[in-house]
Amino acid sequence: MKRVLGFSFRNADLPPLSFEFGTRRRRVLDLPLIAWLTVIWVLLWSTLTWANVLTGLVVSVAVCLAFPLPRVDLGLRLHPWGILRLAGYLFYDMYTSAVKVTRQTLFGLPHRAAVIGVPLRCRSDLMLAATAVAVSNVPGGSIIEVRRATATVFVHVLDADRPEELEAARRQVWRVEELTVRAFGTRDEIARVAEPPPPPQLAAGRPAP
Amino acid sequence: MNLWLQIVDTAGAVLLLIGAATCLLGVIGMLRLPDVLSRSHAATKPQTLGMILVLAGVALRLRGGMELATLALIAFFQMLTGPVASHLVARSAYRTGQVDHSELLFDELDEQLTGGK
Repeated sequence: MKRVLGFSFRNADLPPLSFEFGTRRRRVLDLPLIAWLTVIWVLLWSTLTWANVLTGLVVSVAVCLAFPLPRVDLGLRLHPWGILRLAGYLFYDMYTSAVKVTRQTLFGLPHRAAVIGVPLRCRSDLMLAATAVAVSNVPGGSIIEVRRATATVFVHVLDADRPEELEAARRQVWRVEELTVRAFGTRDEIARVAEPPPPPQLAAGRPAP
Repeated sequence: MNLWLQIVDTAGAVLLLIGAATCLLGVIGMLRLPDVLSRSHAATKPQTLGMILVLAGVALRLRGGMELATLALIAFFQMLTGPVASHLVARSAYRTGQVDHSELLFDELDEQLTGGK
């Protein structure tokens, strides 16, 4: 006999901080998601009043019921210090990469581009996606393809004729991955990225440029 | 106090100008770089930085708590969606053969897709 209402701290199958209700078709409501949607709603109205908060809650619950998500734990954990570090690093990175791209365009330095594959250490889908988004900001890197099965991202690097640039691009991807997982990852994902990066098997046997 | 406000206003205006100039540089890059993949670099990075600078400038002019939060939301979504769009452009360009492979120094994705031929 199932209860009409079930909470995540009693039922380990549910995502954290959520509850399910109903008798035949059980619906799951994810509380952090509802809070986030409400925050966006209030910000869109740009005044913080009780009416806005209440209508926001109603709208977000309605959205969550109308477009139900699969009941899986995405593996999203927020680490405030990690998020600050990631934001600071990303902003610095974005500045240097914009300067680099600008220099490349204005002075038209001769360069050869290349596509490199970088195997990642994290395994969860969310961390893979977050890393890919963050990597798009590293200097001279833009994502072309992500392989989910092997957790490999393929990055287009602007100036690849110098081997140290290639190594720097690889190291940067791993650094961004570690920062991202330390900002949003679960505990075992963090333990995974604390290990040294995998040896670049793909780069082996590469002819020296 | 009035002087202070003036300083903040001027800083906001300067940030707006720098942001707009950065976006302009991105557009010039899109015109000058040779192929799709290089252009996608120029289309995303300077744009995102310019957008954030413009938002910071606007934040310095508006100076309200709710406005700041809304601007932060805009920046967040910009940083979230920009790379996705550029990835889709790069991926579809790559898969439809718009990429000149002889221009690339080497290509580890091609080796994966064709089985190392």
